[in-house]
Amino acid sequence: MADAESDLLRSSLDLLVLKALTWGPMHGYGISEWVEGATDAVLLLEEGTLYPALHRLERRGWLTAEWGVSDNNRRAKFYKLSAAGRARYRAEAPVWHRHAEAIAVALRRTSAQTA
Amino acid sequence: MSVAPGWRRIFRLAPRGARSLERDVDDELAFHLAMREEKLRMRGVPPDAAQTQARERFGDPSRVRDECITIDRQYAREVRLMEWLESVWSDFRYALRTLRRMPAFTTVATLTLALGIGATSAMFTLVNSILLRPLPYPNADRLVKLIQSYPEKGLDTWGVSQQNIVMYRDGATDFAAFAAYRGASLTMRAENGPERLPAVRVTADFFKVMGVSPALGRPFTTDEDAPGRNNVVIVSHGLWQTHFGGAMSVLGKTIDLDGQPTRIVGVMPPDFAFPRADVKAWIPMGLDPSRTHGWVNSGIARLKPGISPQHAERQTTAIMWNWARREPELIGAGSSAPEKTRMKTIVTPLHEAITGRTARPLTVLMAAVSLILLIATANVATLLSSRAAARQREIGLRTALGATSGRVLRQLLTESVALALLGAVVGTGLAVMAVRVFVRSALVTLPRLAEVTVDGRVLTVTLAVSVLSGILFGLLPALHGVRSQGTSDLNAGQRESSHRSTRRLNNALVVAQLSLSVVLLIAAGLVLKSFQRLTHIDMGFRPDGVTSIALALPARLNNAAATSAFVGTILEQVRAVPGVRSAALAWSLPFEGNSNVDGYLIDGRPVPPSGNEDQTFQTAVSPGFFGTLSVPLLYGRDFTAADDTTGLPVAVVNETLAKRYWTGAAALGKRIRVTGDDTWFTIVGVVASARDLDAAATPLPHIYVSVSQAGGTRLSLAVRTAGDPRSVIAGVRRAITQVEPSIPLDGVRPLSGVVDQSLDTRRLTEILLGGFALLAVILAGVGIYGVMSLHVANRNREFGIRLAIGAEPFALVRLVLGEGALLAALGVGLGVGGALVATRWIGSLLYDVSATDPAVFVSLPLLLAAIAVASCYLPARRAAKSDPMQAMRAD
Repeated sequence: MADAESDLLRSSLDLLVLKALTWGPMHGYGISEWVEGATDAVLLLEEGTLYPALHRLERRGWLTAEWGVSDNNRRAKFYKLSAAGRARYRAEAPVWHRHAEAIAVALRRTSAQTA
Repeated sequence: MSVAPGWRRIFRLAPRGARSLERDVDDELAFHLAMREEKLRMRGVPPDAAQTQARERFGDPSRVRDECITIDRQYAREVRLMEWLESVWSDFRYALRTLRRMPAFTTVATLTLALGIGATSAMFTLVNSILLRPLPYPNADRLVKLIQSYPEKGLDTWGVSQQNIVMYRDGATDFAAFAAYRGASLTMRAENGPERLPAVRVTADFFKVMGVSPALGRPFTTDEDAPGRNNVVIVSHGLWQTHFGGAMSVLGKTIDLDGQPTRIVGVMPPDFAFPRADVKAWIPMGLDPSRTHGWVNSGIARLKPGISPQHAERQTTAIMWNWARREPELIGAGSSAPEKTRMKTIVTPLHEAITGRTARPLTVLMAAVSLILLIATANVATLLSSRAAARQREIGLRTALGATSGRVLRQLLTESVALALLGAVVGTGLAVMAVRVFVRSALVTLPRLAEVTVDGRVLTVTLAVSVLSGILFGLLPALHGVRSQGTSDLNAGQRESSHRSTRRLNNALVVAQLSLSVVLLIAAGLVLKSFQRLTHIDMGFRPDGVTSIALALPARLNNAAATSAFVGTILEQVRAVPGVRSAALAWSLPFEGNSNVDGYLIDGRPVPPSGNEDQTFQTAVSPGFFGTLSVPLLYGRDFTAADDTTGLPVAVVNETLAKRYWTGAAALGKRIRVTGDDTWFTIVGVVASARDLDAAATPLPHIYVSVSQAGGTRLSLAVRTAGDPRSVIAGVRRAITQVEPSIPLDGVRPLSGVVDQSLDTRRLTEILLGGFALLAVILAGVGIYGVMSLHVANRNREFGIRLAIGAEPFALVRLVLGEGALLAALGVGLGVGGALVATRWIGSLLYDVSATDPAVFVSLPLLLAAIAVASCYLPARRAAKSDPMQAMRAD
């Protein structure tokens, strides 16, 4: 994967993970299901890439992890948004919106002239 | 950084260790794959395919696993570190609470450490600013100084002539730039009278070499370096502020320098002070390659990158040899090939050239101050171990409650480091003040003194030294405290055994303190004795009561006849001032350093054989010079008013020169000349030899000639006054101004001050080393007093019983004093041994005192031993008053 794409994906994936957890604690598989469903599987090409992201976010203190029992009675690691993580999500989401819109507008332009 | 959420987790994981960290990742990933597989199967995918598809959608599990484990490991490390810092911090706060509970101990220990650390920090500030920091010029490590050397001609260090400057400038490819400079003193005519300007004459590339440009205006052009075109000047920031109000209009202004209209073309930045701190103006030398004599300049160069000073020295030496071959008659090299002589250039890194002479004294002082710190450290260690008995119960309790000995040790060490840090805070404060006072005191002039500041490196070293000393003085008592816990005596009844080992430790510390103090004391004693010898040396003249006044004569008096007339008038006027006992004029008074140094020839004798004795000072003086300075006239006569341009050129030589060739009065009537001048002078007198420039060096040959015959416009007026010179000198000033109003009169100073200044570095060593030794003795005295007090207190019961069963109180006094004496003897003995080794290293700082001077080596250790034994007297008295009943009750 090219570096630029990887960076872009990583930061957007981080944001999506935070978003997924705003609904409550989830295990990795649950998060991947949500992300795939929410993005039509565009972002998560390989489900495995989710896990380093989760561990990174945990290390930064945005998530906490705890072992629990899944719906089908299996031992699973549940992630929960920490207060810092919630704050991070609130700060990041509007930025992402602004950037995405700006980029979209720019990419749609048809001439080299500046307005 | 927020790690808080991780805390709980790490506590849960910690007992299971690193393997579980990996297993957790495995479990987590396996769960995902299993869930995915299950979901696919539920959608009807056959089991085999479901597994493959789940794997495919996941990507490479082993890569993901590695990535997760790496992240988790880093996270675990961070958490452990934070946990550790947290516990250190809590130990630290606990330590501060403990220290607050014992204010007396804490105060004494903090002050002791503050003295040790403060002295170290202050001294290191000097060492750092002067010796360690690079010079304040860009790429200063590439700057070198160049002089010449021709030992066979007595020219160990020989300046560079203008002819030499051009040949190195144009010939040496090792230099990115080459320039030369020499000191000068200019008279500036300002609105409020004439003023003397300490100045430097430089060649055009001077500022290029230094890598510093004027802050305002421009450097000199090559054009302006030609004779007659050099009527431009660059002024210092200081002069710009004081005389031109810091106004931009200073550029292009014309000022009168030595009667020459001179245009100001630049102002240097405020911190530029090369080659001397007091330089106020830089003017172009007016380089004239045809000037073959006048070896009075210093070369300065910037090496090309990657070129070593040694390489440049070889290259410039080759250039010098070529010159010697071309001009054999010029330097008396004769037909001998220069490569067979020791003729060479000396290329030294500029930093070394500036600070070289200060390096040894500063290093010695740094070593001395480190000893102080060690003594202070040992002192606090004994203080701490005296607390150990009291701490024993607390430690026992903590051990009983499950603290490991490592944990207790860490707590105790944290406590001592906390103590050291308190000491460091106070000590740094002391150091900053001490350095400030020292720099402003003008007690001594060191190179780069203006650059002395406390910087980050000083603070870092102070911090490191404090923590280290905290660990050092804490470790012994702490280890000891933890170890003796083996017997775990929660009841304080059986303390004797642990007291015994505490005592051994304390005795060792006292011996160490005493021996370090002896080393310092002996070193200081030797230096003090040297200084004493040096200041009481017979200089061959008496500077006390003589005032030196620098007289820069106007250019129109620049011929011998005019000088002669001026000398006559001025001396007549000055001698008439009430309070003036005698007065004389000379090119230079002793230690002012303005005499010529040159080779010399004696009429009728062959050119002297090669050797270091071929150099002589040459000074032109007026009648009355020897009388004013109290230099005894041995044979013949002094100069008289008749020794002027119309008379026979005459000379007076000193005894050192006369004795080399003649005995007694036989020198009179012989003819002598210096190699730089072809006038033969007839010797009319012989005077005693006076020391010059270096009080520690035996006098060199000296030829005095008559100033009325030799001329000169830079003169020193020596005035010997009766009583307070200040009021008399005011009269002298008026007299001079009446004769010649254009002479600036700001170079007035007592001659004894001039001589003193030559002893600066030695005085620094003397004062500081003496102070350090005193501090060491006080600390050691306090140390032994504390330890003996503790011993006596601990043996209170024993002494009480002894008294009860009939021991004489005096016997107990003797017992305690005897123990003190034994410690003192041991410490002093070791110290003398150490001093024998250490003082060899300060040999170069001594004068006329052997590094093993018996008087110093016997008297000072005895003195210290006496102080040590005396410190035991109070504790001994206390032992004699032990009350057996009280001692019993104490348990």
